[in-house]
Amino acid sequence: MNAPLQDREAALMGMGDSRLRKEDARFIQGKGTYVDDIKMPNMVYMDIVRSPLAHARIKAIHKEEALKIPGVLAVLTAEDLKPLKLHWMPTLAGDVAAVLADEKVHFQMQEVAVVVAETRYAAADGKEAVWVEYEELDVVIDPLSALKPDAPVLREDLVGKTEGAHGKRNHPNEIFTWTAGDKVAADLAFEKADIIVSQDMMYPRVHPCPLETCGCVASFDPIKGDLTTYITSQAPHVVRTVVSMLSGIPESKVRIISPDIGGGFGNKVGIYPGYVCAIVASIVLGRPVKWVEDRIENLSSTAFARDYHMSGELAATSDGKIQGLRVNVLADYGAFDACADPSKFPAGFFHICSGSYDIPAAHCSVKGVYTNKAPGGVAYRCSFRVTEAVYLIERMVDVLAQKLNMDKAEIREKNFIQKEQFPYTSAFGFEYDSGDYQRALTQVLDAVDYKGLRAEQAAKRADPNSPTLMGIGLVTFTEVVGAGPSKICDILGIGMFDSCEIRVDPTGSAIARMGTISQGQGHQTTYAQIIATELGISSEVIQVEEGDTNTAPYGLGTYGSRSTPVAGAAIAMASRKIHAKAKKIAASLLEVSEADLEWEVDRFKVRGNDDKFKTMKDISWAAYHQPPEGLEPGLEAVHYYDPPNFTFPFGIYLAVVDIDRSTGETKIRRFYALDDCGTRINPMIIEGQIHGGLTEGFAVAMGQLLSFDAQGNIQGNSLMDYFIPTAVETPHWETDHTVTPSPHHPIGAKGVAESPHVGSIPTFTAAMVDAFAHVGVTHIDMPHTAFRTWKELKKNNLNIN
Amino acid sequence: MEVTIDKQYPIAANEKACWLVLSNITELATCMPGATITEQVDDTHYKGSVKVKVGPASAAFAGDIEVLGVDEATKQIQLLGKGADRSGSSASMNLTATITKVDEHNVTLTGKASVIVNGKFAQFGGRMMTSVSDMILQQFANNFDIKAKAMGASLSPVGQGSEGETAVGQTGSSHAGSSNHQTTAANTEAPKLQSELNGLAIAWMLIKNFFARLVGK
Repeated sequence: MNAPLQDREAALMGMGDSRLRKEDARFIQGKGTYVDDIKMPNMVYMDIVRSPLAHARIKAIHKEEALKIPGVLAVLTAEDLKPLKLHWMPTLAGDVAAVLADEKVHFQMQEVAVVVAETRYAAADGKEAVWVEYEELDVVIDPLSALKPDAPVLREDLVGKTEGAHGKRNHPNEIFTWTAGDKVAADLAFEKADIIVSQDMMYPRVHPCPLETCGCVASFDPIKGDLTTYITSQAPHVVRTVVSMLSGIPESKVRIISPDIGGGFGNKVGIYPGYVCAIVASIVLGRPVKWVEDRIENLSSTAFARDYHMSGELAATSDGKIQGLRVNVLADYGAFDACADPSKFPAGFFHICSGSYDIPAAHCSVKGVYTNKAPGGVAYRCSFRVTEAVYLIERMVDVLAQKLNMDKAEIREKNFIQKEQFPYTSAFGFEYDSGDYQRALTQVLDAVDYKGLRAEQAAKRADPNSPTLMGIGLVTFTEVVGAGPSKICDILGIGMFDSCEIRVDPTGSAIARMGTISQGQGHQTTYAQIIATELGISSEVIQVEEGDTNTAPYGLGTYGSRSTPVAGAAIAMASRKIHAKAKKIAASLLEVSEADLEWEVDRFKVRGNDDKFKTMKDISWAAYHQPPEGLEPGLEAVHYYDPPNFTFPFGIYLAVVDIDRSTGETKIRRFYALDDCGTRINPMIIEGQIHGGLTEGFAVAMGQLLSFDAQGNIQGNSLMDYFIPTAVETPHWETDHTVTPSPHHPIGAKGVAESPHVGSIPTFTAAMVDAFAHVGVTHIDMPHTAFRTWKELKKNNLNIN
Repeated sequence: MEVTIDKQYPIAANEKACWLVLSNITELATCMPGATITEQVDDTHYKGSVKVKVGPASAAFAGDIEVLGVDEATKQIQLLGKGADRSGSSASMNLTATITKVDEHNVTLTGKASVIVNGKFAQFGGRMMTSVSDMILQQFANNFDIKAKAMGASLSPVGQGSEGETAVGQTGSSHAGSSNHQTTAANTEAPKLQSELNGLAIAWMLIKNFFARLVGK
């Protein structure tokens, strides 16, 4: 058992190992189990009748024709849910949302009734046969018009309520006005400034559009009185608590199972009417009820992201040192405030908008507004509005650079929070844990030959016959992830800790159960690696289980890049509890004091003596066979980790685009992404996550858009219109990294899966704008489709035929 | 979504015949592919229905038509139609149609309409709406042309005697604006009207027009 140290270390496949994903064996063989794969005996199917109109009063709902269809068992409307008080439900943001439309519909495709039938086909036929009579009302699509004094009142249920969940409402269509920072200090900075720049920008409404849509199978057992629900949820434990609160079924009799999930990206955080209705239907019928939405339903009614109308201002000295930041946002939250944010943060962590820069004074204000659009406002592959914040500050820094005629890299270097300033408290009050922005920026600029690129760009600009415009986008962003410390972060009152339970078996293998749930992040692979390194057990014999509330410890789930920062820490801490007990057992077995032992990869050895040791395997057996006196048998631990702070991963991204001056088509010539996520657990998975995030960022920047016409009709809610890049469109990604561990995280890891999405979107916009910068363009709104780009070319007389 | 249409169609019939078709709402409605007047409520109010099928979306609109104005002097008629379909689409159209004399045997039919469509049609057909509206109006104009010619024939001395049954789809009393010559589309050869809006035909016309545009036609 005295193999060379390196061999023993390699055998563990612990942290730092590019271990292949354990999930893929089943996924690539089509052997995953998703919600729609669940089939239960006696199961029936549900379909949803949805509103064709964006704003209308319901005059009557006629069920008769639907009930005549063979196989149709029931049609439920708000009237049927009323006796159960389930026609409205609380949202995560302190508002209420209609489960089934009660007297009024507030957005197109809103849930109006559900049809339950013996077969999926009968359910669909029944849905077609339900006849709803509407009286059309004036539609409000634009948040600016929503705030006009004579605007139609959208939420009649809130009439007279001048106090919302987040303070005063000054208009019937206003949800809240939330501010952060110091307004007086910021205003003063602007009064004294040499230079002020301002820019309006629209971050359009997009949708996470996971490959798998939302759905559930609800099964109420009328004999036992318990409810089992398979559900596409990124937070199964929270769902269980909410279901118990809504239904009155004791939480211990509610079992929520998130099986394999085909992508979430924030879309699967919320609780949707479909889930509630399927559960009610199952309770009413005493049979399992399956509901799985189609693509159009997913894009139209489940949680969207963004829709922020932002305006930013920077105050600076004439040599480019930023002195102040002011931001105003009009946030279109749709019909109900169903944003998925920690309760106290109605605009998420938008106040990370001072970015990677040392800005002495800052203030931001976000006004949430109701419109006749679907509710949501989730963090689409980002941590609670960080994408919007990063977009704003990165755009503003570029606007300032252009105003001062400064290089876009130089202005960033000038304003970076310096390495020695960490931990750094921002003007908005965040305490940045660690960072080394300058080193990372230098690494990227050298790798791409930034000076050479700028020279090439200058030559192209000088040539009036150049067939392309060249743009260079540079973004140096900081994210805030890992929500979060329970003293400031909670969901429905539950602190945003996370948990891990590890049991080491007598033969030295182990099982870990987690409060999180993977939707493609590879938890089964990476969590095992943390335990492997901490406990010296090969990751090959460590099972990771998540998603079943009957077995997993309570956790807040996976979103906002919180799995590694929070649950990853819980794993390390639970491992360390086991490690401490193992040490006691080893000391007893070796008949030495604990102080005489040292840890080496997979064993405790007597200090300085390579031949006197006990491996974790030996210790595991002893824990069950002959535990030392005074120690209870077994080798397991549970840890609930409440993080002391957020983590602050960062990145330096650079894109080079070539825009065809005759067609407006854009080629991403180069995209270089350097990420610093602190300690790296599995470099291969990190790279995969970065590729995925960059590709989704590319999608948002270059094509994704949920648009509405004046009547509130959704334009393009199918994949015919909604842009999902495939291998054909996706550019080549170059990745790089630096490592700046988080000082407060047990293993120094910061989380990575969302950084590439957050960071890449402004990089694309920056590159597009940069291509037009020489003619004075300071901003172009997304998406940068060929048609819109061609219009920009025309507007600036840069198009050629 | 809102679509505004402003189109001219040449009609090979005389002004009087055209006006007779245009000013008779029941008659006019049958020019609309898939449309019928089901009831005349009073002089200016009618109930009707339209069946439309475009790609995945089909709808049977039932609705009200209000005659906002019939001006014989300017040969202009203004209609407001509003309808809804049980499965979730609704539409309204404000239409002004005018006949302008070109010569003794030809007129120009001008249609100006603003159409607002909601629901399924607007969601799925957004990008096709203008093209589809064009197609519908083209079929309407073709049907109008057929009817006006038939009307012209019935107005001529030969046709005048053959007083027959009323035109297809006509119900209720004759319209106040129509002349004392009853409409007689039922000649020996019944004109072949396109009776339902045909999705396939529309798709084909869209493709044809697309290529026509490419070659600069």
